[in-house]
Formats: sequence, C-alpha cells, structure tokens
Amino acid sequence: METKEETAMDNRPTYNWVDITQEFVEASSDLQLGELLHDSTFGLFEAMSAIEMMDSKMDAGMLCNQIQRKVLNFSDSTESGQLKIKELSIPELIGVMDATMACMVTWLEGHSLAQTVFTNLYLHNPYVIEDRCLKAFSLCTLKIVDHIRDRVNRAGVFEEEDFQTMTYGFKMAGDVTDVRVTGMMKELEEDLHRTLKTTRSKQGEERDAETEKEHFLTSTLFSRVKFHRLFYAMLLSFSKEKCEGIPQSQKIVVQLQELIPTIRDTLPVGVQPEQKELSKNDYPTIMGFEPLVNQRLLPPTFPRYTIIKSREAALEYMETLLNRLMVVTTVPQMTSLHTVLDTFKDFSKTSPCVLSRSILQLTLLPPNKRVFGVNSIVDFLKETIRGFIAPPALSPKSSLFNNPQAKTYVDAWFMQAVRPICTLIQTTGHNRARQRDKWGHLLEDLSALQEEADKVDAYLHQQLVKTEPNRQHLACLGNWVLYHTLQAMISYLLSGFELELYAPYEYHYIFWYLYEMLYSWLINTLHRADNFLLEHETIADNQQKGRNNKKNKKKKRTKTLNKEITMAQAEQHMFGGYYKAVLGLRLDGKLVYPSFEFDSEEVQYSHRFLPFTTVSTPPYIHYAQYKEMSDLKRYEPEASAQSLYTASCKCFHQAKALLESMSTANEEIQTLIKVAKTNFVVMKLLMGGHKKDSNEPPDFDFSQHKVYPVMKLM
Amino acid sequence: MAGEEPDSENSEGKKKLERWLNKGMKIQMTDGRTLIGVFLCTDRDRNVILGSCEEYLRSPDSGKKEDPRILGLAMIPGYHIVSIHVDEDRAPGQSVM
Repeated sequence: METKEETAMDNRPTYNWVDITQEFVEASSDLQLGELLHDSTFGLFEAMSAIEMMDSKMDAGMLCNQIQRKVLNFSDSTESGQLKIKELSIPELIGVMDATMACMVTWLEGHSLAQTVFTNLYLHNPYVIEDRCLKAFSLCTLKIVDHIRDRVNRAGVFEEEDFQTMTYGFKMAGDVTDVRVTGMMKELEEDLHRTLKTTRSKQGEERDAETEKEHFLTSTLFSRVKFHRLFYAMLLSFSKEKCEGIPQSQKIVVQLQELIPTIRDTLPVGVQPEQKELSKNDYPTIMGFEPLVNQRLLPPTFPRYTIIKSREAALEYMETLLNRLMVVTTVPQMTSLHTVLDTFKDFSKTSPCVLSRSILQLTLLPPNKRVFGVNSIVDFLKETIRGFIAPPALSPKSSLFNNPQAKTYVDAWFMQAVRPICTLIQTTGHNRARQRDKWGHLLEDLSALQEEADKVDAYLHQQLVKTEPNRQHLACLGNWVLYHTLQAMISYLLSGFELELYAPYEYHYIFWYLYEMLYSWLINTLHRADNFLLEHETIADNQQKGRNNKKNKKKKRTKTLNKEITMAQAEQHMFGGYYKAVLGLRLDGKLVYPSFEFDSEEVQYSHRFLPFTTVSTPPYIHYAQYKEMSDLKRYEPEASAQSLYTASCKCFHQAKALLESMSTANEEIQTLIKVAKTNFVVMKLLMGGHKKDSNEPPDFDFSQHKVYPVMKLM
Repeated sequence: MAGEEPDSENSEGKKKLERWLNKGMKIQMTDGRTLIGVFLCTDRDRNVILGSCEEYLRSPDSGKKEDPRILGLAMIPGYHIVSIHVDEDRAPGQSVM
C-alpha cells in the first residue's frame, strides 16, 4: 500500500491516496455480466451522459488530439522573447490587427471566444504592452468584444449555433472607460496623421524611397486604427438611448465603408503566417497568436475545431455587416408595426449575422422596452391598429372612446397584447432555420390573444349599438390578431420551402392549405379591415362637412389596404397555380406517391400542420376533411389532367396580372412576375401535350425564389 | 435496468465496491493521464464512471503543478485503467470538489 500526503499550496483539497488497483479488479469481477454497481441516486440515464475517455471522437484530451509542441501563454512567451511587447514594426502591427479582426469575425459566426479572439495573446494582458499602438488597439478590441457580447445577449435573438456567450473569465478591459479607449485611439490616429503630413509628397520636392515607404506604411496603419476606433464609436452610438445616436451611426457607417477598400488593398502588407501543415486543431499563426493557448478552458465536450476565417473573408463580412447596419438606421422613421414587421422580415431574408440582427432588434425595442426607446408599446400598437382597421373604440369621435368601462377593457387587452407582439418581433430576429419553430410556438400565444380580443369585441359591440346602432365592433380587434395569426401560419409553411423540408409528393397538401385556406382567410381578413377603414372615413367626413357638402364625395381614400389585398391575391393565385399543376401532374403519372411501409400520407400531413391544431380560428383542417374538400370528383365534369393544367395556367396568368398592377414594383415582385410567367408557359406546354409520354417528375427549381419554384419538365 | 435484480447475497467484492462509492478516486490511464473525480459507478469489466472529474496530463505526484481540465462526468473503459487510488480519509458522501 502506498500513501502519500500532498501538501496543498493553494485551496486544492488534500488527498490521502490509497492504491486499490488489485483489490478493485478482484472486487469488480464479482459483479454479474451487465450488472452496474452504483448509488441509488445514480442511474443509467446519468451513466449515458458521461463522456467516454480514450474515444478519439469524444475525448478532446486524448494523445491523438494533443499537441506535441510546447504551448506558451502570454507571460511565458514574453519572457522567452518570442512575443514582442515593444518596438513592433508596422507590418507586424498590421498583421496583428488583421488577424484579430479575422478572429473576431470567426467568433461572431458562432465559435467560442477562447478559440478565436483570445488566441491573440496580447488580449490576455494588454496593460503590460509597451507599444502604444498595440496597447490601444488591444484595449479597443476588448471593448468592442465586450460591447458586442452585451448587445447580443440583450437582444436575445441567438441560439447556440449563432453565438457563444462564454467569456471563460477573460477580462474585457472593464476598468478602462469608453472615453479613455476612444481617446487613446484618437491620439494614436492624430500622431499617425502628423507623420503622414511630414512624409507626403510636396510639390517640387523629390521624396526618397525611404520616406515614400514610410508614408505608405503609416497610411496603412492609419486606416486600420481609424477603422477600429470608428467601429467602436459606431457600436456605441447605435446603443444610445432613444435612438439619438442613429444619425451619428449613419455617418460613421459611411466612413467605415469608405475605409474598407483601402484596408482590402493593403491586406498583404501585414505579416502573414508561414505556410505549414499542422494538425487539425492547430494552425500556423503570426507572432502574438497561439491557437491552443486556451485548450484547457474548453468544455469537456467532443473537440470542436475552429477554422479562423481568412483576412479577406473577415473584411467581406465587415462590409456586409456595414451594409446591413445602414438598413437599421432607416428603421426609426417607421410609425406602424406592420411596416416594421415587413422590414424586419425582408431584413431576415438575407440571412443577416447575429450582430446586425441584434442591433436591429435593440433599435426598435431597447432594454427599456419602449418603441425606439421613446413610445410605449401599447401606444405603438394602438396607432398600428388604427391604421389597419380603425376600431371605433380607438376613435376619439366614438361614444366608446369615453366609456370608462370600455376603456378599461381595451387597455387591459392591449397590455395583454404586448408580450405576444414582442415575441412576434423577436421571432423575425432569429436565424432562418430557427424561425420555423418559433412561428409554430407563437401560434399558441396569438390564439389566446385572439380569444381575449373576441370577448372584448363582443362587449364593445354591445355598448356601441346602444348609441350608434348602425355601427359594429364584432371581429375588429380580433380581426387584427387573426391577420397576424394567418401571417404566422403562412410564414411557418413557407419556411418549409426555404429549408427544403418538403418532398415534391407532399406539395399538393401544402399548396392546397396555402391556396384554399390561409390565403383566402387572409384576403377576407384584409377586406374586413378595409371595410372598417372605409366606414371610419365616411363617418369622419360626414361629421366634418355636414350634409350640405357633397362635392367631395369621390375624394381619394387616405387609408386603404388595397396594396396588401392585391399582394395576398397574387400570392394566392400563385399557390393555386402550383396546386392545380401538381394535381394535374399526379393524374398524368408524373408525380408518384412513393409507398412507405411504416408511413402514410395522413401521418405526414398531420406532422406538417401540427402547430395549426392549437389555433381555433382558422380551424384546423384534418386529413379526412382535406381529402374530402380536395376530392376531384366534386368537379363537374370530373377534372382531367388537361383541365387542371388549363386552370393552373389561368392562375399563373392572374397572379402575373395582379403583380403587374402593383404600383411598387420592387425586386421581390419582379422576381415573382418572372416566376409566374415561366410557369404560365410551362403549363401551356403541358396543355399542348408536351412531354406527354414522359413519366419523369418535373423539377421544382427554387433558384430564382426561395419559396416560389419554377417548374421544369424533364 | 439490466442486471439490477436484487442480489441478496451481497458478495465480499460488491460490499467493498459499495464502500468506495462517492469517494474521491484517482485513476491513471494507459496514455499517462490522471483523472480525479468521485467514484459513481462500475461494472464487471471495471468500466468506471467518475463525477466532477478533472484531467491532469501528468501525474499529480510528479510535483509539477498543472491546471486540470474540468471534464464533469467521465467514463473510463476498464482496459484503459492502469491504476486506481481511493481517497480514504473522507467520510462517504462527501465530494472532492
């Protein structure tokens, strides 16, 4: 037996180790095959979650995953002289700056700080750096990282694949103020600017090569120092209260955009890592970077390899980020939730990075939970609803407006609406893949809100007819919620196309649900709202002008939902076209339902529409109902492939006409027109018997639009 | 759970193992690493599960201080175990951490 008393120098526990190897072997051989010896509190479930040592996939510390070379930390490498903390050459400084930016961008794409930004040893202890430029830059980088982390955390629109929040206990220069860091960078910039002035070519004076080179290098460094200072300043002004910093941010974004080409052209100036092959988690770096310095900090999960982006790619990322942030600066001019939601959805379609998504969310709803930091969410919603459906209860001219009981109910309902609406906004901020799930969950909240809205509407209606018997309040607030419910359902189904979840043999019920159910409900909802708007305006006009002034009767309506209605109709016809085309193709034997042993269409159908079961309006259509409603025998005479192609053709034509009638022809609408046109032609071809004998399924090509495919005959 | 039938005739070996449960344990592996954690579970093939496990690249006895890597719950396959030590002075149920 061996006993060894360890003296704990720090707070580590002292052990009294006793060798039991032999005893243990003997004792364990007493167990039965498959028998586990454990405490009552420890079960198979816990046992399952243990990581297996010596398994090359799970065990990050295994010899094959270990690095044979010596990994030096900051103090080791400064002591050994491998890390310069003073008198760095400009190419070295530029190398460090560009590599740091690459690390930061890699972090922003979902990798851990330990494997990205903090592979830069200088950031471990910037205070001992003697080089003024490097010190200021390091502190500025830490500040930027800390700020980004805070913003992304607050916005809460990230998932584990988007962003790693762990800081591993690194210090983020918390004891240095923003002003101090900005000041340090500014000073540096001014000094460099002075050098630039003295070294620049003057008229009638020949510069020697030395000065010329110095000038070039200084300007290269200058642009980077300026970029980082401005980048930090931009982040700070985006986070100013009440969106006060937005005009400033806008200016800075432009300045940053101007700096990008200069930096890109001078990327080769910075020192580059040597080209050499290392192992899978080790890679060549320049001085100041050690990919494995934090290896011990990583969580005990399977090893994750982080590939740092190239410096070019990092700059490209920055460029895209800046372009997106430019969009963000336009948001505070919006007055209605619906415009905001449209903008947010469009923003999301470009799959923006987590930082731009977070800044967008926080611009609309900063931590004080007021819209743009100023208005209460309830007021914002009231304004939106007035613009959408003009509820009598929110019109100062109505008797309801001053009815205290009615007011209490309305206000209480609005308070209730805040949370689901915030979730709705937040949903648009998540990454594309996660949004689908979020839309599904949101339906529960919206459904509950709708029920409440119906109750409030019923009460308001009862009160309203007492004084104004010609007006009504039924399905008014409720109609607004229904509009959002339908939008959420549509978003849910459409995201399935973008995420490539549906197989072509499933298309018929997806298209059917969109065409026959969701879009026709949506159009009804919009019509209803539009009627309310019209009624409201008529009443307002009558009250204003009295009965003697009938000249302006034909005056143009100020508020109308015509645009929304036309768009919804166009989309409905698109899906109608697809639906009928798919049915025709099925009859023609071009789209065959594969036979599955353990699956059926009913199961697939129920799975696809599962989240819709929680919604009461519109009611969920069960598979049996769908079969009945979509039965071709209902048509007189019974539909043939030919007649279906003709019907589909008409739908696409109609969609095209509607889209072309829209006054705002943005890129999206242009694409849709193109898709509708192509599909129209394809249907014409099918009608004409083109490729009649081919049993090849058609190709649904999503390359033009993520949701609306172009059909191609094979 | 497989093989969990109440075996009333608790053998000598089983009693011994039960006595070690929840005690600190130090296991050396074939690749030279040392793991220290709480003994939670084992089976006939000496596969051992340690809780709150820490990994040391060198033996802690070698004198050189090194920062351990925190592993949490870890399972060490029996055939990779070189030696097992138990921390004897501790009252059962007390964690090492």
